[in-house]
Amino acid sequence: MKIALCSTFVPFLFGGARNIVDWLQTMLEQEGHHVERIYLPENDSPDLLFQQMAAFRWIDLSAADRVICFRPQSHLIQHPHKILWFIHHVRVFYDLYDSPYRGFPDDAKHRGIRDALVAADNVALREAKHVFTNSRVVSARLSKYNQVDSEVLYPPVFQAERFHCRGHSDEIVYVCRLEHHKRQHLLIEALALTTTPVRVRLCGSSAGPHYPNELNELITRLKLQQRVSMENRWVTEEEKVDYLADCLAAAYLPLDEDSYGYPSVEASHASKAILTTTDSGGVLELVSDGINGYVADPTPAALAAALDKLYRERATTIAMGARARARLDELNISWSHVLERLLA
Amino acid sequence: MKVLIVNNMAPFVWGGAEELAVNLEKNIIAAGHQAEVLRLPFQWEPAARIPSQMLMVRAMELINVDHVVALKFPAYLIRHPKKTLWLLHQYRQAYDLFDSAHTNLPFGAEGEQLRNVIRNADNESLRESRHVFTNSEVTRQRLVKYNGFDAEVLLPPVNDPALFAGGQMGDYIFAGGRINNMKRQALLVEAMRHAGPNTRLLIAGPPDSPGDAAELQAAVERADLGDRVRLDLRFLPRETYAEYVRGAAAVAYLPFDEDSLGYVTMEAALAGKALITTSDSGGILGLVKQHETGWVVEPDAKALADAMSAVFAQPRKTADYGQAARALWLHLGINWPATVERLLR
Repeated sequence: MKIALCSTFVPFLFGGARNIVDWLQTMLEQEGHHVERIYLPENDSPDLLFQQMAAFRWIDLSAADRVICFRPQSHLIQHPHKILWFIHHVRVFYDLYDSPYRGFPDDAKHRGIRDALVAADNVALREAKHVFTNSRVVSARLSKYNQVDSEVLYPPVFQAERFHCRGHSDEIVYVCRLEHHKRQHLLIEALALTTTPVRVRLCGSSAGPHYPNELNELITRLKLQQRVSMENRWVTEEEKVDYLADCLAAAYLPLDEDSYGYPSVEASHASKAILTTTDSGGVLELVSDGINGYVADPTPAALAAALDKLYRERATTIAMGARARARLDELNISWSHVLERLLA
Repeated sequence: MKVLIVNNMAPFVWGGAEELAVNLEKNIIAAGHQAEVLRLPFQWEPAARIPSQMLMVRAMELINVDHVVALKFPAYLIRHPKKTLWLLHQYRQAYDLFDSAHTNLPFGAEGEQLRNVIRNADNESLRESRHVFTNSEVTRQRLVKYNGFDAEVLLPPVNDPALFAGGQMGDYIFAGGRINNMKRQALLVEAMRHAGPNTRLLIAGPPDSPGDAAELQAAVERADLGDRVRLDLRFLPRETYAEYVRGAAAVAYLPFDEDSLGYVTMEAALAGKALITTSDSGGILGLVKQHETGWVVEPDAKALADAMSAVFAQPRKTADYGQAARALWLHLGINWPATVERLLR
């Protein structure tokens, strides 16, 4: 089948939104499909949004048997067999409108843009043969704001069979970009309150030097240099596989994430328990407290108690890791399921 | 610097322009910059939908980009304060092909109007660009004639030049490139019937259609030349193609009225091979000079056969032509580092 994968991008920025498209392309090509990948530039500035939306309406992809659209506003592309794998709205006009992230005044002009955007999205969403999302959170938003039903299709990680379990050290690993809303600082503050010799490893790159510097100062101030390893860089895939193979458990503590996040799925593939927090959003679709990890209150004290439990009750931690692996099958997180649904 | 290469995409089709964009990206990165290719879908049928797709490109917004290098219509209509065009071609059906009635634009007023829309947009894009280069002299002349615009020629370099070094003079004439009527490989087979008994020919490359392959195979059978003609009709891995070039005694390439110097001849010259072409091959004559870098003959089987026989009759002279071809190519100074530098000037 000739399949066009359509998404939007900001040139020279790479990350999760491109991974889902690029990985799906590889999987479809392995199945013998002819795939064309189309990334269109998008600038979400309110004054420029509609001319770009018009541009997306003029794209002619009639050469494709079906198109699959991802990041907004690629869902505006017209095609008789359009499938959406919808990963988020232009959020400042939806769930983030009444939040500090909005970045423009709540006036008649912007309310008008918002209404027109919702109207255009409603039309484009209804043109689709089928709407998938990457999480229950996003499905709930589609239902609330656009009155559109959707099916959750969890994005798998690439070549998941690379991940494995080799043993259980004393280390909790957090492999993720070092960013304030990922809250690595909370894990450090918690470590200072633990009573066991449990250790922490942080690795990931960051957008700027500010937050990593803060983390370093925090580690020094709390005298945790001997118990924290921090690598402020994009670790290689091989390093990540090794860290996850050897660790005791993994941590993933983002603030209100849309989806379950690749770090928690990768840890699950390595059969490792996951430590997360009650306000981490989509992560809670994967992690249940006491089953395949711990869901702690987002406070240093609560996280410290969970860290100690992971260390002290080793047999339980290992058993939760095994259940983390099994949980992936329960949620049908696999490429075979994704291909079956997208090509149905 | 963050350099965005902007090119067209005919969905599910991959060709020379796509290869050029990928190699440009690779070489901009090698020069120490960041580079990425943006491919904008373009479907020229039906012609009535060309203007909306031009508008589509014009409405796109670019952020986080320092410099744009745009290659084709309508991709080069994209707006950016630092835009350089490296024009592979305009929409020829609104220019020279319009004049010769080889166009998909409708007859009459509607067609005239579409043509004017395209020409006006091109004129605006040419004016707002920082620099405008063309990939051939022919394209440059078209710009002068139709748009009154004087551009510079910037010929595309050979990709992976190291692949074409260190060959030996083998016992066959190599004919590479796409297989079709315009490239006239069948004429070479025909010429083999008149050539000397120790003349050998290897034709290798991807046929445009199964019919092109069948036609060539039938010609070889008809000529009854036994093992003196070898066909390898498929898309060749680049390494295999280069091996064929490196091992050849000479390289023959006879396209009808080609715009450019031709990758086949550029690569053969770099490899130090004597060149054979025909007097009506257009841009190819920029590299093939009669009795200097090879043989330029009439597009006729007997004349070709004489040149092909001479390759083996006077091997010393053939080797000298090959060295002269290499010297001529190197003298043109066409390489990726210099090309990237001019494009980002």
